[in-house]
Amino acid sequence: MKPNQDNPFKARLSREKFTENLIFGLLRGVTFFVLFCAAYLFWDIFSKGAGKVFEGEGILNWEFLTDDPQTLHVLNEDGVEQRLSSKKYYALKDEKTLKRWNEFLAGSTYEFCQQKIKEAFSALEKEWQAEELEKMVQSFVAAEKDRLVNKFGFWKDLLSDTKATAVDFEVPEAEVSAMVSGYFLGHLNQESNRLALVKSEITRFRATHYPTIEKLNVENLQSLEEAYRTFLNQIAEPYRSSLSSFSDEITTTYQKFLDANGPKEFGHFKEALIAYGQVREVVITDSAESSVWKFIQSALKPFEEAVSVSLPSTDYAYSGGGIFPAIVGTLLLVIGAMLIAIVLGVFCAIFLAEYGKSGRFLSLVRLAILNLAGVPSIIFGLFGFGLFVIFLDWNVSLLAGWFTLAFMVLPVVITASEEALRSIPQGFRESSLALGATKWTMIKTSVLPYAMPGILTSSILGVARAAGETAPIMFTAAYAKRSELPWEGLENWTDFFFQGVMALPYHIYVVSAKIPQNAYTADMQYGTAFVFLVLVLGVASLSILLRNRLRKKYRW
Amino acid sequence: MQETTELSPESASVLPIHSGIDPTISIKNLDFAYGSNQVLHGVSLDIYPREVMAFIGPSGCGKSTLLRCLNRMNDLVDNAQITKGSIEIHGNNLHDPSVDVIELRKKVGMVFQKSNPFPKSIYQNVAYGLQIQGVRSKRKVDQKVEESLRKAALWEEVKDRLNENAYGLSGGQQQRLCIARTLAVEPEIILMDEPCSALDPVATGRVEELILGLKNEYTIVVVTHNMQQAGRISDRTAFFYLGELIECDFTKKIFINPDKKQTEDYISGKFG
Repeated sequence: MKPNQDNPFKARLSREKFTENLIFGLLRGVTFFVLFCAAYLFWDIFSKGAGKVFEGEGILNWEFLTDDPQTLHVLNEDGVEQRLSSKKYYALKDEKTLKRWNEFLAGSTYEFCQQKIKEAFSALEKEWQAEELEKMVQSFVAAEKDRLVNKFGFWKDLLSDTKATAVDFEVPEAEVSAMVSGYFLGHLNQESNRLALVKSEITRFRATHYPTIEKLNVENLQSLEEAYRTFLNQIAEPYRSSLSSFSDEITTTYQKFLDANGPKEFGHFKEALIAYGQVREVVITDSAESSVWKFIQSALKPFEEAVSVSLPSTDYAYSGGGIFPAIVGTLLLVIGAMLIAIVLGVFCAIFLAEYGKSGRFLSLVRLAILNLAGVPSIIFGLFGFGLFVIFLDWNVSLLAGWFTLAFMVLPVVITASEEALRSIPQGFRESSLALGATKWTMIKTSVLPYAMPGILTSSILGVARAAGETAPIMFTAAYAKRSELPWEGLENWTDFFFQGVMALPYHIYVVSAKIPQNAYTADMQYGTAFVFLVLVLGVASLSILLRNRLRKKYRW
Repeated sequence: MQETTELSPESASVLPIHSGIDPTISIKNLDFAYGSNQVLHGVSLDIYPREVMAFIGPSGCGKSTLLRCLNRMNDLVDNAQITKGSIEIHGNNLHDPSVDVIELRKKVGMVFQKSNPFPKSIYQNVAYGLQIQGVRSKRKVDQKVEESLRKAALWEEVKDRLNENAYGLSGGQQQRLCIARTLAVEPEIILMDEPCSALDPVATGRVEELILGLKNEYTIVVVTHNMQQAGRISDRTAFFYLGELIECDFTKKIFINPDKKQTEDYISGKFG
């Protein structure tokens, strides 16, 4: 019989049905996402790792398994790349040297020498081509000009700043003028040192290679000499001229200044220092400006040294101050990771326990998830680094740390949540369905609330693990030192997720293994460890309290 | 308990079954299988409005399976399917693809062997069916909860502790609460799967009394192991053996003068 028009059971095209399908899609999506990540993890390690272990001539790369760590030497001969470990590299080198020595001895000596030296010279000539030299010289001169102009401009500004302010105390004129000329002279000295360095470089080149060149009487000798002379002239000439004009100008300014203001107003280097402090606040990013900045710093060094007090002390890094950023960072990491793990884990578990039909595929999925639980944490770190930090380009950030930690505790959460869901009596499900609930309504109202204590129990285990592991956050989220708290200095709110944080376990690692040990670091690392334990205990206790409350509410 | 035994043979004969009324449920030549394991073989059976139909038979004879087919609870079992025949309620095939199983289950309520109230308050238990249907009006829900509890003869016992956990009730009260919960969604047919098997005789008596009261409004199908119970509460009885319907007739006839030898043997306790 065909169902008639007023069939009371006729399917409704309702919102409920839509929700039902949506939820199913979501749960399945999450499960497949987790599976995809598991697959990616294993694939990544197998494809790259197996490549390393099985490369080379034989089936297995025995050297990789049996040798000690050595430097790798990558040879590039005629476009063919060859990778050699130190041992092999030196063996090959010795072998080749011996061979060449034999050849050398065997050949008719003088012609052979000429030939060899000619080859060496042409190689060198390629490196020192006139064009290259010219470029070098030009850029050097341009930079030098800039520096001198900036130098002078700043000095003028500083002087005009200084004269505008009131007199607090005086400094002997002579001392200041000595200082002023002293640091300019110092700077010029520095430059001439630089020039001397270039000179000596060229002299060295000449000393090493001229004898052979002269002896060989190569036609290109002329051109090399010429290039060298031009080089020297080009450097020296503008330098000399700017030097003279500079000294003229500074004398004039100085004289003018003295004339206009009298000796009384000249001596406040306190104001000069204030001006210096103000300049210091300005953030200079442009590279041209930063060279100005460097000059300013070097120029004002004598002033600074005159006022700063030095204390007799020995410094111990990381042994003072506190760990507040690390506490905040760990809390943030744990909370975020657990939220992600519980959401993904519970979705996955619901799909597996309630929707999944038992079969080969599902047992495969479970096997994959259980295997994930056995993966060492450092490998999760590597996985997170590869997928989140590099591939998704999240950099070292909270978000990357959250997902890495979440994936590490996910197997535990999924397995335990599935158990919790399965332990809910079938009667609840049947009664709910028999009262006209849709599948999702049934899960939402009469399975999930009662499974929550079990799910929370598993998540407590997860909390301790997520908080405790160092390896997964080492490359993905943790900074050795960061003074700003996560909510400080954000330009917009999304930056919150893309910043690295300090974390307690990583701090312990840094303090105890990465810096020189001394009597003060020991206090620090044990203090951090103590706070860490208390914190984990606190977070776990909170979850236990929550679980107990829920248990009391739902007992049957 | 004494009232329940007063069902006289005459009361069955005055049922309006033969007076041309359409059956509520009509099972036609039904084959049912769990995977390759066929558990029902060609069952045909009509159930009429406002009668109590009892399914009896030894364990594994398929009577529970048939009951669970009537509101498609078997959909929950993987690979379970009807391989032949059909079930119709008022002429509508239950397994037609256009049927909304949610609507069906609202009309065909079910009470399970093990009383399984939700671990919530008594009120919440009864209101559950209404709440999932989206009834928001507090007044309406209150009214329906009271009405259902009254129908399930539980109101007087629990009216002062509606907000206490349902697991504080006794076994029989819990089972009547489950019946009240089912009544709240206004079904037309109530299926009961051995509703008294976990209860003591006094509680059983109360539930049986309740069933007899309910049959004025609802069509009731009861699966039971207890033949005396079938005798006390049902109008007609169907005897199943190894997945086949052996005999279906008025209860008094089945118990006094069955047509089939197997039925007689089972009734008289020779096997089962």
